[in-house]
This record gives sequence, structure tokens and C-alpha cells, in this order.
Amino acid sequence: MIEILSNAALATVQDLGRLGSLRFGVGTAGAMDDLALAAGNLLLGNEAGAAGIEIPVFPFKVRFAEDCVFALTGADCGARLDMAPLLPWWSHRARAGQVLTLGLPQGAQRASRAVLCLPGGVDVPQVLGSRSTQMRGAFGGHEGRALRKGDVLRAADPGRACRTGFGLVPPAIALPLDIDGLVALRVLPGAEYLGFETASRAAFWDGEWRITAQSDRYGYRLSGAALRPVAAMELRSHGIVPGVIQVPHSGQPIIQMRDAQPSGGYPKFGTVIEADLWRLGQAPIGSRIRFIEVDWDQAVAALEQKQAWLAKVARMVALQHSAPTGVSA
Amino acid sequence: MKKAPHELREIAGWMAATGIGFLELRMPGATVRLGRRGDEVVTLDDGPRSDEAPVAHPPGATNRFGPPVDTVSSASLGEFLHAHPCATAPFVRTGARVQAGQMLGLLRIGVLLLPVTASRAGTVAAVRVEDGATVGYGAALVDLHPL
Repeated sequence: MIEILSNAALATVQDLGRLGSLRFGVGTAGAMDDLALAAGNLLLGNEAGAAGIEIPVFPFKVRFAEDCVFALTGADCGARLDMAPLLPWWSHRARAGQVLTLGLPQGAQRASRAVLCLPGGVDVPQVLGSRSTQMRGAFGGHEGRALRKGDVLRAADPGRACRTGFGLVPPAIALPLDIDGLVALRVLPGAEYLGFETASRAAFWDGEWRITAQSDRYGYRLSGAALRPVAAMELRSHGIVPGVIQVPHSGQPIIQMRDAQPSGGYPKFGTVIEADLWRLGQAPIGSRIRFIEVDWDQAVAALEQKQAWLAKVARMVALQHSAPTGVSA
Repeated sequence: MKKAPHELREIAGWMAATGIGFLELRMPGATVRLGRRGDEVVTLDDGPRSDEAPVAHPPGATNRFGPPVDTVSSASLGEFLHAHPCATAPFVRTGARVQAGQMLGLLRIGVLLLPVTASRAGTVAAVRVEDGATVGYGAALVDLHPL
């Protein structure tokens, strides 16, 4: 059991998302950095899709009520267990009564969300096949809402004794993608792409885009050179998914994120590919990003590369968990 | 350091995971060569065995020209890192005082990072391997002057 000690603004229980319910008007939710959640789970021998805690606001504090292994991935937050500093992207062991504190994200690759994984996953009920918090519908996760001070969460397999004390090369380093030092995202041109002026299309790929303060789990509003349509486009509402880049009348694009509603009517300029949504999920407010145009085959290849990285993590961690003598010095 | 069969399997597992094609383990009285056959890692041949268990870097070995030195050696093959990939500052520098179990560096094996820790309290006499260098099983990594 862990007890939330801080005013855990916006921290939520998330798994890899509630897939297959868009036809009922239920968005996917799920971890903004799915790679961090999957890797954290694998470090503990969990299923990659077990539920963890996504933490976007700091400091964040929890107390372990009993001895428990855990993994920290995502943003490097200068974590401490009581006073002892903890490495990021690492599996750890807490004793009963110890307090885990996550501070502000730090380092050259400053990310924005930390992920805390527990043995067996966070034990909350499945709703429509997922444990993710559906904020709009107020169901799933822990009581259908963000965590609050005093909340108590259980690990599904609290007594698990797996080897800890090792970690992973973070994917921002293992699978880097940047242009001139800015995080880059690969984008498939969308259905209304050709309805925008040639100059706007060129500016989209060539320019820098700032993530504004009006950005959260629902969507990221960007600011940059306005994208102008050749002629005004009026569309009926249609299905949209996380990653879709809409352009409202202002010309300043909005990227739909994990808590996006499942339909919308703005013209679609493009879609951030599924394989790169974690990069965007970790890009801090105020940071600048770039876009790279890709085609379908390149998008599929990127997804396969991401899955291959996770498969390698699963294989290497299994070797480390099964090693009889321990290979640490 | 004679290797039990399960230890050889473990080393073979690391080889398979890291993409290393050939590994020779030389021990007094025995040499084991592991190689790749397709996706499998197999024992190529087995030298004469010894029942002794000599240690490459005996703890507390005495340096003839100075105070005693304890050498922390690599428990696996991999790349020795002075700092965590997210950090710029190294875990330790020469002259630093360390406690038993304190992190001295990391061993990177593919996607994995393993800790290299101080065997006992002491001061760091020398970091013997460059940052990012590939090291073999048993390579001397850090010398400590025990306290």
C-alpha cells in the first residue's frame, strides 16, 4: 500500500489506454509516455500494460506502508527515498514507512512526466477493459479522478521479491529524434493537408513550434506561423484520435492528446505518428518542437522500432531477474 | 574463478543479448570458448579443468609500492560508464571517499544499466577504465584504498 502525502495535482492512474471503445464515444486515455510506463512495468516483471501512476506536477510524495519494490521512469525528478538519492529509469526497493519524494524534472533532456510502477501494477478495477483514468467520464483509475492527498493505493502483487537495483538507458537517449537540438515528431499529412496554402505547408515543416501553457492531457496548443487554408473549410464532426493535428480558425494548431474527445470538426493538417506520441507527452510547456514529414511505411517502421526496443528490454530484464548469482559487482 | 554450468549459461545469455560473437574465458587450468552458431551460443571447446578457484583480483591484494588496494572488477561484459546517461557528473572521482555499496559507475549492456558498487568503504585510488570503454568479464574497473 502507498499513501499519497502531497497535494498530487493531476497525478493519475494510467495503463496503455482504453482501446476499442471509441465507437461508444469513450476516448482512449492512457499514459502520455507509454514507453516509460511499459518499461517501468517490465523492470518489475509486470505485464507492459499494467497500471502505473503518471505524475506531471512536483513535488510528489508517497509513503510506502510496507516493504515494496517499485520502478521510476519518465522524467528524471531527482527522486529520493527518505534522504537517499535514487537513479531515474531504475528499479528500487522501499522498506515500510519510507517516503518517496519526486522533485522538479532536471537534466539536459528535461522531460515533464514521471511514472511510478508497482509490483503487479496499481490495483484498481478494470472498466471497459482498462484501468486508465477517464477524466471526462469520471470513471476508471482511482475513483475516476486525479489522486489527492490521503489517497491509498494498493499494488496488485505487493509482496513480489524480484531483483532490483538496475536500470535502463532512457529511450530519449536510446531512440533520439531531434532537429537542431529540438525534439522532433514525425507526422503523416492529414485529410485536409492539401487544403492549406503552399507557404503554410512549408512553414509547418520548416518552422519551430512552441508548446503553449494551454496544453494538458487533452491536447497541446502550439504557437508559430499561422497555418492558412486556401479557402475556409467547414466540416461536420468526425472521429479523431490522439496525435491528430487540428487547425482552428486562428491558424494555431492543436494536437489531440490521450484525453482527447473522440470527435471534432476542425480541419486535420496531419497526425503525429503513434510511435512518437511519448516524445510529445514528455515535451514540457514552453519548449519548442519540430515536425518531420513521413509516409505510412515510415510510420509503421517507427512503431516496429519502438516495439523492438521494448522487446529487448523485456528480454534483458528477464535475464537479469533470472540470473542466479547476480551480475552486479 | 571456475565457472559452474549455470554461470556459463548466464554468460551465454548475456552474449546472446549483446550481440558479442566470441568469448574466451581463461582461468588457471581451464579455458572456455563460447561462440555463436546461428542464434545459439555454444561452447566451442573445453580446456582441462581445475578444481582450484583462483581469483583474478583477490580482495585486499597488497600493492608493493603503496598502501593496500582493493580492485572492483567487472561482473559482466559491457560498457563502463562513469556517469548515469541522464547526468553529467561522474559517480566518483579519484580521491573521493566512498561507503561500502556506494555506486562507482555503471555497466551498460545493450539497453540495460547495471550498478558497479564499492566492495567496502575506502577512497578511490584510480578509475582504471575510460568512460564508455568496452570491458570484459573480470576487467579491473576501480581501485580503492580501503579505510
